Amino acid sequence: MLEVKGLHAGYGPIEVLHGLDFTVGEGEIVVILGANGAGKTTTLRAISGTISRRGSVMFDGNDIHKASPDAVVRKGIAQVPQGRGTFTDLTVQDNLLAGAYTRKGDVKDDIDRWFGVFPRLAERREQKAGSLSGGEQQMLAIARALMSRPKLLLCDEPSLGLAPIITQELFHVLAKLNKETGTALLLVEQNANLALQIAQRAYVLETGRIAVSGDAATLLDDDAIKTAYLGI
Amino acid sequence: MILAFDTELFIQRLVDGLSKGSIYALLALALVVVFRGSGQLNFAQGEMALVTTYIGSTLTLAGWPVWLTVLACAVTGFVMGGAVERFLIRPMEAKSPFAVVVVAIGLFLGFNSISAAVWGVDARDFPSLFPNQPDDFFNLLGANVRWERVGIFFVLLGIGALLYLLFTRTKIGLAMRAVANTHESAQLVGIRVGRVLVFGWGLAAAIGAVAGCLIAPSAGLSLSMMFGLFIYGSAAATLGGLDSPLGAVVAGLALGLLDSMIIGYVDIIGGDLLLTVILGLILLVLLVKPSGLFGSTRVERV
Repeated sequence: MLEVKGLHAGYGPIEVLHGLDFTVGEGEIVVILGANGAGKTTTLRAISGTISRRGSVMFDGNDIHKASPDAVVRKGIAQVPQGRGTFTDLTVQDNLLAGAYTRKGDVKDDIDRWFGVFPRLAERREQKAGSLSGGEQQMLAIARALMSRPKLLLCDEPSLGLAPIITQELFHVLAKLNKETGTALLLVEQNANLALQIAQRAYVLETGRIAVSGDAATLLDDDAIKTAYLGI
Repeated sequence: MILAFDTELFIQRLVDGLSKGSIYALLALALVVVFRGSGQLNFAQGEMALVTTYIGSTLTLAGWPVWLTVLACAVTGFVMGGAVERFLIRPMEAKSPFAVVVVAIGLFLGFNSISAAVWGVDARDFPSLFPNQPDDFFNLLGANVRWERVGIFFVLLGIGALLYLLFTRTKIGLAMRAVANTHESAQLVGIRVGRVLVFGWGLAAAIGAVAGCLIAPSAGLSLSMMFGLFIYGSAAATLGGLDSPLGAVVAGLALGLLDSMIIGYVDIIGGDLLLTVILGLILLVLLVKPSGLFGSTRVERV
């Protein structure tokens, strides 16, 4: 479904990604692991089009490497940005409405649906998102992204800054969403252990290049790779 | 000395204050709409309104009815504001945020000079939207209240209500609030941030254009008409909290009332010291509450 070849991207004169190749299949969960500064966030930004990039990014048969961010959303890719990026001054409900910005017609059913999945958000629907806890904001950011009914959901370090128990709950929710809706997930994570447990395949990113790739289960079992790249 | 409270005089000062305050509030609203979207203070907001008001005066001389003229001014303002954002502000901001301030000051001077070149330096008449003959007033508790003054106040209320509906009930309003909050996330939900900014600048200039048309009949249309108003307007925007439309309206009306009451009741301050005293009061408020009366202090839980 998503096929990336020779992806180069960066910020102004500084190139961060030096030619990445990776794929995400229909309904698949893929994780990109890597240390700080490896280029994980840049990879997601390059797909969403919030930074300029070179190379081929094929999504459902269309090359989107020149598409603007809003066109990428319309094509069916939604991103949960790092640090959640909720609209802190807007209410929970308005955040979800904004998530459905590219859609036409009534979106109330979708809002009810995600309030059903995340009951804590339903209780706080009239509250400003900025008053939510970190875990709640992360749930809101995911629900907001799902409001556009994406075929592929990009999540940028969803575990960042969350307590371990909340992180576990979050990954559980992501795996369940994937199973029930068939939405493919591309996760970027530092928390290798948890991410590999829900993913089918994984790539390890090192300073803008893919160092290792393979089945999540294999990577999780390979002690050499774990000590060399994943620090677990 | 007998201290008798003159109700009639008080009501007149009240109405004067509300009417002046409405103009300040409209300009403050324009500034706030721009600031929320792009985080910039448009120093040229007043002078953009000056140009549209001059265009309006030409239209009325050509025989256009006043209401149509005001509408045409608002539309012209909308196009002008949108174009300024798209073709001057945005390319400059990409290069350097400081350059935007210089551009805005350049626009301030430029629009004023263009007005001088096209319409000359002599003051012009501008017809009022409301009945404005010497005997067009009604009686309120013994005071003669001019329709024109009250009309200005109601225009402010109408525009305020429309803005409220726009922000809370429409998709573009939701997009404007999202963009005001964070550009990156707005992009990621598929909002075309650039278009929203153009719309915001256009809307602001349209509001400014209406303010210009409302004040011109009593102030007289001249090149310096907007200077003082802009100072009051930006003071009101700051006092209300730069990102709060409600704050702009409340603070604008408060400044108008303060202005009119100080002139009326505090002889020592009079006309010359007035602005200084008012700006001093605003400074005091901001020392206690730096985000302004209604501005949001961004507190985020993590």
